[in-house]
Amino acid sequence: MAEATITVLNRSGLHARPAATFVRTATGFGADVRLCNLSRDPGRMASAKSMLAVLGLGVGHGDEIRLEATGADADAAIDTLLALIAGGLGEGMAEATGE
Amino acid sequence: MRTLRGVAAAPGMAAAPPALLEPASASGAPHLALDAAVTEACRQLDRLGARLRDRGLPDESEILEAQALMAADPELLEAAGRRIAAGTATDDAIVAAGEEAAAVLEGLPDELLAARAADVRDVAARIARAVRGEAPPQLSRRSILVARDLTPSTTAELDQTLLAGLALEGGSPTAHAAILARALGIPAVVGIPGLLAAASGAAELLVDGNAGLVMLEPGAEDRQRLAHWETELQGRLDAERALHDRPLATADGHRVMLGANIGSPDDASPALRAGAEGVGLFRTEFVFMGRRRAPDEQTQAVAYAQVLRAFGERPVVIRLMDIGGDKPLPFVVLDPEPNPFLGVRAIRLAERDPELLSTQLRAIVRAAAEAGVPRPLIMAPMVADLADVRRVRALLDEAVAAVGAAVTPQLGIMVEVPSAIVVADQLAREVAFFSIGTNDLTQYLLAADRTNAALAGRQDPMHPAVLRSIASLVAAAKPHGVPVAVCGEMGGDPAGAVILTGLGVSELSMGPASFGAVKRALASVTLAEAQELAKRCLDAPDAATARAWVNERLAG
Repeated sequence: MAEATITVLNRSGLHARPAATFVRTATGFGADVRLCNLSRDPGRMASAKSMLAVLGLGVGHGDEIRLEATGADADAAIDTLLALIAGGLGEGMAEATGE
Repeated sequence: MRTLRGVAAAPGMAAAPPALLEPASASGAPHLALDAAVTEACRQLDRLGARLRDRGLPDESEILEAQALMAADPELLEAAGRRIAAGTATDDAIVAAGEEAAAVLEGLPDELLAARAADVRDVAARIARAVRGEAPPQLSRRSILVARDLTPSTTAELDQTLLAGLALEGGSPTAHAAILARALGIPAVVGIPGLLAAASGAAELLVDGNAGLVMLEPGAEDRQRLAHWETELQGRLDAERALHDRPLATADGHRVMLGANIGSPDDASPALRAGAEGVGLFRTEFVFMGRRRAPDEQTQAVAYAQVLRAFGERPVVIRLMDIGGDKPLPFVVLDPEPNPFLGVRAIRLAERDPELLSTQLRAIVRAAAEAGVPRPLIMAPMVADLADVRRVRALLDEAVAAVGAAVTPQLGIMVEVPSAIVVADQLAREVAFFSIGTNDLTQYLLAADRTNAALAGRQDPMHPAVLRSIASLVAAAKPHGVPVAVCGEMGGDPAGAVILTGLGVSELSMGPASFGAVKRALASVTLAEAQELAKRCLDAPDAATARAWVNERLAG
């Protein structure tokens, strides 16, 4: 099993559009990918391939999440999803900073 | 005639007979099994999403694409499947499963997610319609649509040529239907108590999305206002279209460079399409956020080169990281600070640990070499004095030597710390450009925390103290030939843009959404008029008065 913990720092967290990007990416892997929101309810795991389950975790800006994957491409799935989250899930992050 | 009052949600005016959406009618299509109905619903949502994308509404189209994902959600289908196996009819099963998922979202302590609950219900209803072989609801003639609330997918699905206006009994200006109405240019009023009962017998409605009013059986006076609005709208559209391909300039042709503010490589092509002459502010924080470890030189270089390549010969000002205690990062160890905006942030971090900044500088030099930009523009934030400039310069020289590329970076500074303006004559001898961050300059100059809502009234950069500071910066820069730009929100504000031009600022950088309004405002005055207005505002008693003077001139 591959696993990782990361803080979600894009503007709105795993809400509509960022969540869709996340789910679409997870769905592209054969591995079973699950996640939980450590900042809200560490006991509740959800499928990363279910939009509704991901939204249901209520992951907001600044929340820490834990990703777990099992299966042949588990490592690749975790690496890709981490990079995606780190890159802001296609959503700007810097709006409130500076100037 | 009777007038109902609601909340203005999308500007514009229109009159037409009211229409309640026809209840879904049997289309003659056969009933579908759940799987086939889901496929059909996804196909419809994808098609609607593509339609919005074609109309230049990528944000709105993504709402529908997210709904397509919900429609195909394995957990939703599993929940519906369990109900079907227990004997529930297919359409009832999917609606119940959608309701269950919606209830979970509504139970979260988060307002944004409550809106997603409505999206789920909408998706389930769409699948149920597909199961029953029903066509989506549609307008039969040009109408003002009257409803309690409207989902984004329904709004997108309606024939836009028949949808003259929107009046909702419920809803709020932040609901998707309102966002879509604004994006499609359909006047809308929402939150109108008693609308459904009042409108049911009316022959004609007038929706005034500017004032937030709905008139039942509008009279001659209302019609006159409508005609006046239509003429004005046409004039404005013609003017913006005419200005799109023209540079930012005053009525007498004094050019001001138009830059875009961008926050990631994804923002580059929309900015170019909107007509940006360059990037006045490329924020680089995106590359640091959401990571467990600091991004390495290569990762950063790839991201920066993407933007440099997209803009080619056009200038791109790359701002060095403005990171501080307000947005903690796991790899930047900071002592807790009571006031992170006055704390160890941006280039101040480098005094203790220069590696983060050095890596970024090397990445920029490398990106410039790879993208074929010989003189990349680098902007240092939070510069307070000459020593700050020299410290960054020394790190930059080291970075150029380390990369070994034939690149000569131009180092400029973001002017936001008031001390930088006091010593601007010193700085002007050693920097390539000044770019004013008016938001932070205002909060620092007026000692008013911009994250404190109670002080929101003190954040207006039209304050004479801010204007005088800008005037003195321009004066200090001039003898040294150092250009002065503005990349704060003031540049994207029509009144602000006019005053800044009058004060001698030579470049305005802003979000591309503001381009049209700023071009229009600047084209409405001559340079001499802008200068005169600016001079007058320097003597205003406060920001509100200065703003009122400018708005009066722009309206006249």
